Amino acid sequence: MLEGAELYFNVDHGYLEGLVRGCKASLLTQQDYINLVQCETLEDLKIHLQTTDYGNFLANHTNPLTVSKIDTEMRKRLCGEFEYFRNHSLEPLSTFLTYMTCSYMIDNVILLMNGALQKKSVKEILGKCHPLGRFTEMEAVNIAETPSDLFNAILIETPLAPFFQDCMSENALDELNIELLRNKLYKSYLEAFYKFCKNHGDVTAEVMCPILEFEADRRAFIITLNSFGTELSKEDRETLYPTFGKLYPEGLRLLAQAEDFDQMKNVADHYGVYKPLLEAVGGSGGKTLEDVFYEREVQMNVLAFNRQFHYGVFYAYVKLKEQEIRNIVWIAECISQRHRTKINSYIPIL
Amino acid sequence: MGTPLDGGSRVPIGCPAKLRRVTRKKVAPDLEGWLSLAKARYAMGAKSVGPLQYASHMEPQVCLHASEAQEGLQKFKVVRAGVHAPEEVGTREAGLRRRKGPTKTPEPESSEAPQDPLNWFGILVPHSLRQAQASFRDGLQLAADIASLQNRIDWGRSQLRGLQEKLKQLEPGAA
Repeated sequence: MLEGAELYFNVDHGYLEGLVRGCKASLLTQQDYINLVQCETLEDLKIHLQTTDYGNFLANHTNPLTVSKIDTEMRKRLCGEFEYFRNHSLEPLSTFLTYMTCSYMIDNVILLMNGALQKKSVKEILGKCHPLGRFTEMEAVNIAETPSDLFNAILIETPLAPFFQDCMSENALDELNIELLRNKLYKSYLEAFYKFCKNHGDVTAEVMCPILEFEADRRAFIITLNSFGTELSKEDRETLYPTFGKLYPEGLRLLAQAEDFDQMKNVADHYGVYKPLLEAVGGSGGKTLEDVFYEREVQMNVLAFNRQFHYGVFYAYVKLKEQEIRNIVWIAECISQRHRTKINSYIPIL
Repeated sequence: MGTPLDGGSRVPIGCPAKLRRVTRKKVAPDLEGWLSLAKARYAMGAKSVGPLQYASHMEPQVCLHASEAQEGLQKFKVVRAGVHAPEEVGTREAGLRRRKGPTKTPEPESSEAPQDPLNWFGILVPHSLRQAQASFRDGLQLAADIASLQNRIDWGRSQLRGLQEKLKQLEPGAA
């Protein structure tokens, strides 16, 4: 039953949807990647990127060019495009785009807190924060000693405030607690974003809900794998899993008890989508779990563009652009380290 | 290989071939280590694995221990920090990492186990970061072996030169 998105979507959001589709068409093609992997130096890479939509984005940088500078400039460019979308958006798209920035805000908060633990200056860390996650209260994050301080004094006015409900405690912020805080914040954020999309309904819900469910399941698998051999208990691990997705609730309960990769694979065997993904880990190509999940994410985000009149195209474009940035940075690392064996381990998008 | 002189003095020169083999072995874990770090940045984010995550002052996990081997040569070994016996003597460098600022040398009896550097990047780190740590650890021990072998070869060379000089002097009609 059509809900009429195609009747009124373009009134408020047609211009921006057209714009984001144009941006998507400028993503690097397979031929572009073939040219990039043949570069011998980072300067060659810069020259080849000038022939793409990136243009002269590195023109202001003096030698020596580093991988970190390339990454920073590409992120700035993406941020510029996203800010344009957000500044021209109307509700409820504006709220949708704000939800997208919350994940980067969480990363910035954690970066600032870790930096405070390592006695780094705030100015040094602010320079490395993700531009999409900037908010005005950032500079005060490092003075908080407990999550309650952090919430009451600093984050209560920010979009992150609603995600703090499960994270309030008086425990001092050490490495373990910061990691728990990061994952709990992200869990609350994902659940809130999922609820927003589901309540919105229409094509947005049909496109975004499966993508966010996959994100929730991915986090559950990655948290489980990375927790093996650490001080994180099984009970604590289970509290970090988002409570939605294909794995919820039975799969998550089984994952919480897993003690090694094989047991995790046994859980995935119950799900038609995840069984082939975990079977592809390792093998002759040496793929990691992160690699197979990134490939699946790219497939889902490319498919999002096959439907019109929904907000998922904005989310999908940003995620595809981030994958492109990861690809280029990986190729740049292989070139700068002169270790070309795995230079083709990027994920093609178009 | 040796040079019989004065009733059979022999100089073991050392094993340049072994040095080349061990040096080649060291290069591989180093390359793999840096690539694994790049892989960890790919998984965690480029700014999540870098200088922001560690402090400028740090306690080493391992130390270089020098002992005297045969012929008075110095032999190097990598040991866990704080494991030395107090009576052991020799060059004691504060780990193989050079950092600015004063570093306190801990008393062997009272030192705690240094924190695992993996925790600087979070508790839930990807497998690639663990692989990088393992590769660099292997590289450390190989570096100590290379230094020991290098010492041995340099000593052997100096002995050989000395013996060659003696031989020249003993040759009849050299004048």
